[in-house]
Amino acid sequence: MKLLTHNMLTSHVKGVTKGFPLLIKATEVKVNEVEFNSQFVSRMIPKLEWGALVQAAEELGHRQDLPGELVPNYETNEDFLKKVHRVLLEVEVVEGCLQCPESGREFPISRGIPNMLLNEDEV
Amino acid sequence: MIMTDPRSDGVLVRYYCTAGNGMEHFLTGEVKRKLAAEDVCQMTGKVLFSSSARIDRVSELKAAERLFLLLKHDSPVQLSAHTNPAKAASVLQSRLFGDRSQWTNAVVTWSRLQGELANRRTTVNTSGTALGMKRTMKEGRGSEEQREEEEKCNVEIGKSTAEQRVEGSGTRRLRSGEENGAQTLEKKRKREMVQSGEKISRETCGVERRMVMDGNVKKGITSETDLHGKGSAGVHTTAGIDHNVESSSRRIDDMPEDCAVENVEHVKTTGEEEKTLLQPSRITPKITPSVPVSFRISCKCTGSLSRHFSTQELSKVIGVGLSRLLGWKADLKNPQLEVNVYLSDDHCLLGIPLTRLPLANRSYMKTTGLRSTIAWAMASLAQIQPGSCVVDPMCGVGTILVEAAQEHKAACFLGMDNDDRQLQRANENIEFAELGNRIHLLNASSMALPLASATVDAVVCDLPFGRKFGTKTNMATNLPVIVTEMERVLRVGGTLVLLLSPQLSFLLKKLLAQKDTEPMSNQETQPQTGLLDGRSPSLPSRKLQTFQIHQGLKPSPTKETDTHSGVQQHLPPPLSSLKHQATLRVSLGAIDGLIHKYVKIDA
Repeated sequence: MKLLTHNMLTSHVKGVTKGFPLLIKATEVKVNEVEFNSQFVSRMIPKLEWGALVQAAEELGHRQDLPGELVPNYETNEDFLKKVHRVLLEVEVVEGCLQCPESGREFPISRGIPNMLLNEDEV
Repeated sequence: MIMTDPRSDGVLVRYYCTAGNGMEHFLTGEVKRKLAAEDVCQMTGKVLFSSSARIDRVSELKAAERLFLLLKHDSPVQLSAHTNPAKAASVLQSRLFGDRSQWTNAVVTWSRLQGELANRRTTVNTSGTALGMKRTMKEGRGSEEQREEEEKCNVEIGKSTAEQRVEGSGTRRLRSGEENGAQTLEKKRKREMVQSGEKISRETCGVERRMVMDGNVKKGITSETDLHGKGSAGVHTTAGIDHNVESSSRRIDDMPEDCAVENVEHVKTTGEEEKTLLQPSRITPKITPSVPVSFRISCKCTGSLSRHFSTQELSKVIGVGLSRLLGWKADLKNPQLEVNVYLSDDHCLLGIPLTRLPLANRSYMKTTGLRSTIAWAMASLAQIQPGSCVVDPMCGVGTILVEAAQEHKAACFLGMDNDDRQLQRANENIEFAELGNRIHLLNASSMALPLASATVDAVVCDLPFGRKFGTKTNMATNLPVIVTEMERVLRVGGTLVLLLSPQLSFLLKKLLAQKDTEPMSNQETQPQTGLLDGRSPSLPSRKLQTFQIHQGLKPSPTKETDTHSGVQQHLPPPLSSLKHQATLRVSLGAIDGLIHKYVKIDA
């Protein structure tokens, strides 16, 4: 699971009103080099929950020096875009789990794929 | 290796592509958009166009099945019911063949395009290795290896024909195992073609041998009746004379041996025929004027002409006629080129295939789910922009996502499925296509998407149906919940593209029609019940048609109504924000599917 995916995931366990962001409990994290596409990164940034991204990167020890607030004019700041690229696409949680911040329900991550399936009584 | 840019800009070439039913207008749009095509002519199952774009770009068309160089497109050949067979054959030949130079020019163009395609492949391979791209994954590189092997044979022109033939047929046999079921019909058709071709070849062989033995060259014994009789010897003799002396003598020298081999092989390997001949012409040594072109006819005929000739007879008439006109030789097993002939009441169309495999066979896909052309068409409807976030909540092996991500380099894709094995295959496909940075996978249910509301730009989904997927989940019952979830995660202005079976299509229409009538009185909703029973006279024909299929598949209409009312009970807020944009019918092989497109509006 890449942090781009994590940034979109929410928990919908019954009764939960804000299942976001999910806490990451990683047991295996890898960093893969991925081709940098500045257009892609700068187009994705406005869609992100910036705070959640920085927090997730922090939890995994890959925050680098990403600021808590999104910098202005990031479209032209290649250095910044490359850092975001690294956090969004290169850091990957291979094993571990995601935890719903409200209900505490854990969603396992296995071989890089989070299992977000709920039991019938949780829907 | 030639490293020059295989550019053919400026030279306008006329092509045609075959396309699945319902895919024609996608292909028309694509050739106009990507190839700046001119004189685009769309007909059932085919699109004709002219383009000066490079052949590698033409061969990357996504909506097409197969790509051909156009030889001739003309009005239909019409014969009166009383035309005798010989006369009919004569009329057909004079109508179809026309000028010799037209054919020789076409072969030169075809040969040039083949060369450019081969160069491109070599270049791509080499540069791939040079850049150290991840082309060395351990498992399942089978098809890639085969491809490379093929290309090797194609490039190494120095090899003897015999050697190539052995290698070639081996590769093809391997590959034929991969052909998916959708090509069964094609197989059948090919088999017919093969059988008919075989006859020509035998005849030709006999003729050539006799010619050599007799050494007597009779000119002008070409009465048309000969076509059906033994006299076809005369036909070939004439061809020899038309040709220049050098070429004809060489041809005669080579022929008997070749033909003898061929005949033996026919006897020995009848079982393998179908497999080895499945694919169209391979790229064999360059066509030079001094060596006769070897060819095979692949013929398809419908309408009134089919009452005069069987497919076999047609192939024979055309094959023999071409041999005579151009001095080409029939070769069924390993021809340099294949001439495809389509004859119907609407047109006649002749062309030469430019690629051995259909364009629809994607080199970047490992496991195919949905037909790649349809997956591509769905993605093309989703209005994906740079920065778009696209979700497939039931992605299966990820075909739609891979097709979409190939086309949209700056968009992000999220695939979900509740089946681990499917996700595993999807993962393999994504790695194989090197799209892992833009396609992400989740194990999740389409009934409860783990995404916040109004965060997604497009939802594209092939809703599972049919035998392949069994009845583990009742799609008809779950449809309202699934569509409601899709609608929830879409942002306003976002696009929903669904591929549905006829019965699911009908159900969804019904579901969305409810929302229009819901605020009205009970009396107003009454006609809805009529619609449900299929008695509403105001139904457009497509709806009616869909309904009939629906009825046919559902054994108990009462049960259906129950399901429907059950659906209404747990139906969350009405789907009033989904604005219908289009419904398109496409052929999925055994049955048709319906692509629905909606845009989410601010309701």
